[in-house]
Amino acid sequence: MNFNNLINDENCVFLKSKTKTEAILELLELVEKSGKVRQMENLKKEIFYREQIMSTGIGQGIAIPHVRFEGVDSPMILAGLAPGGISDYDSIDDQMVKIVIMIIVGDEQHKEYLRILSLVVGKLKEKSFQKNLLGAQNNEEIGAILKGEVK
Amino acid sequence: MELLQTIIAKMDLSKASIILLLGVVLFGGTLVGRIFQKWKIPQVVGYIGLGLILGKTGFNLISSRTLLNLQPFSTFALGLIGFMIGGELKIKTIKKYGRQFITILLMESLSAFVLVFILITTVSMFFFKDIRIAISLGLLLGAIASATAPAATTDVLWENKTRGPLTTMIMGIVAMDDAVSLLLFAIASSVTGIITGQAGGNFLYSILDLVWEIGISILLGVGIGFILYRIIRNFLDEDKILAFSIGAILLLIGLSQLIGVDVILATMAMGFFLSNFAPRRSTETFHLVEKFTPPVYILFFVMVGATMNIKGLTLVTVVLAGVFLIARISGKAFGSTMGAMLSKAPKTVKKYLPFCLFSQAGVAIGLSIIAGHTFPGVIGETIVLVITATTFVVQILGPAAVKYAVSKSGEAGLNITALDLIKQSRGKDIADREIPVIKVNENIKNILSIFAEHDNLYYPVADDNNKLVGVLSIEKLKDTFMASDLSEYLLAHDIMDKILYTTHLSTEASEIYGIFEKSHVASIPVIDEDGKVEGMIENRRMQQLIASRLSELKEKAKKMEEV
Repeated sequence: MNFNNLINDENCVFLKSKTKTEAILELLELVEKSGKVRQMENLKKEIFYREQIMSTGIGQGIAIPHVRFEGVDSPMILAGLAPGGISDYDSIDDQMVKIVIMIIVGDEQHKEYLRILSLVVGKLKEKSFQKNLLGAQNNEEIGAILKGEVK
Repeated sequence: MELLQTIIAKMDLSKASIILLLGVVLFGGTLVGRIFQKWKIPQVVGYIGLGLILGKTGFNLISSRTLLNLQPFSTFALGLIGFMIGGELKIKTIKKYGRQFITILLMESLSAFVLVFILITTVSMFFFKDIRIAISLGLLLGAIASATAPAATTDVLWENKTRGPLTTMIMGIVAMDDAVSLLLFAIASSVTGIITGQAGGNFLYSILDLVWEIGISILLGVGIGFILYRIIRNFLDEDKILAFSIGAILLLIGLSQLIGVDVILATMAMGFFLSNFAPRRSTETFHLVEKFTPPVYILFFVMVGATMNIKGLTLVTVVLAGVFLIARISGKAFGSTMGAMLSKAPKTVKKYLPFCLFSQAGVAIGLSIIAGHTFPGVIGETIVLVITATTFVVQILGPAAVKYAVSKSGEAGLNITALDLIKQSRGKDIADREIPVIKVNENIKNILSIFAEHDNLYYPVADDNNKLVGVLSIEKLKDTFMASDLSEYLLAHDIMDKILYTTHLSTEASEIYGIFEKSHVASIPVIDEDGKVEGMIENRRMQQLIASRLSELKEKAKKMEEV
């Protein structure tokens, strides 16, 4: 599994939404558009159920909604930037969320799931990386930064 | 009732084929056995009862000719019983209990002989006013009194899966007191012959003949046993081992009959040889043969019932039968208690062995028939009738008494296999109900500490309402080590497995075992009707539980050996 192959420019966007629910739904629309997921309704339920158990806002303005889902064959990563901030994300440090990275993997892809999560969290925890990402001008730049092509 | 009699009168069962009769006997026997088992009465009683109804005492559906035709099955059954008993006798046990065995055996058989001899002779003297007839009846019935039927007795032991010193002692005694009985009968028969001037006179010849018979039986049994062992030791296929073993038993029975030696003794010698000199292969062989025995046993006991005719009883025979019963049971009880005390046997043996020696069947009936042939007239006829009546009573009474004794002694149910244990258990017996339930929103750090504090490898994951939502395994937890920086963000929900199977506390353990066998899941969560977690069954822990329960039972049986 190559992490960079999982980043697709079309799945990197600037979010129009100002709330958590809208932001997540906006990213899910991208998933639907990709056509890679069967049973979109169930995926929505799963994502929101996970948020209900505990928010995926991990602090420092970062949120990583993630789920293992049987209706997908290969892992998907979606990135949404909200420079204005999402105030109701309920992060552990109560800060506004500006970067939302959604991770969806197949039900049996437990190891890939942990690896991707670990990679994403590792990268995003670096302040310079956050700054770079938030400075992106368009979708392609978000993708490039995530792939590490732009320093 | 009249209609029934008309129908029965019209039926001519002599025309019915043996196959039909076998069908009726096996089908009906199993059914009656089941009913008796439900009533907690030994199944043997049911089989014999069915025989009584079908036979001479009842509707006479099984004629003497048919009985004669079915005789080979009875002999086969006796052979199988001999083989199985022989297999239970281990040299180690005999060495350990040898002194107790011999003391108790001699005491119980001789006490019964002496007491029956004295009382029957006295009462007969009163009826027949002839000292020769009285002494003859006393001697012959006394000799017959010393025999105990292994079949009905051991059947109860097997049915109740007993293990312990009492069981061992019963096995040994019932297996060997027939030999004592045969010896006593040979002596009694010779003495009677001399007193009455009838056949069977030469005393020394009778004894030599008996020693010869016993020696040849044992030699034959060991010989065939050795051949069987040589052949099956290279066999892997169970079907072949079964066919060969049954074949060897039949061969041995046939040869014994041909030479005219004791069938039970011969097959017992074979079973004894196999289990002691070829123990590894023989466990399997005995297991296979045991599975084969139920229909043969049912047939045997139904026929024992059918053979008995209690219609011809007179006042004299009823009184003598009563005296015989009382004297024999008292003699056996007194003798076995004394023997147990003298040989310092465990207290369960002393207390309960007297209840286990009532049964009489094949040997007693056989000897009474021999007496009938050898001493035609009053002596012969009386013996046949008395033994028929008493056999009927002790066949009903004996198994029930054995069952009482083994249950009271605590030996019942101690000799069970893992499979028996599973069959008897339900989910609640094998479930780990103390297992901590991991909440769906528990983080990795807390989950790790739960895994560290318990030795389970699989935990149920539940939501806030305690409803099962997944299973958390050690494998999945291990995977999180490669992402240790996530331990604060990952929850049970993120790493748990889907629920593949669930079960209930009331589910039969065999069903749960079946799931483990076919699906290779390592654990199954236990839930109630609302889907709430009640525990977890882990295959590994279930096996451990069964193993420890079995060794507990073994230990319990061993403890009983203490005086």
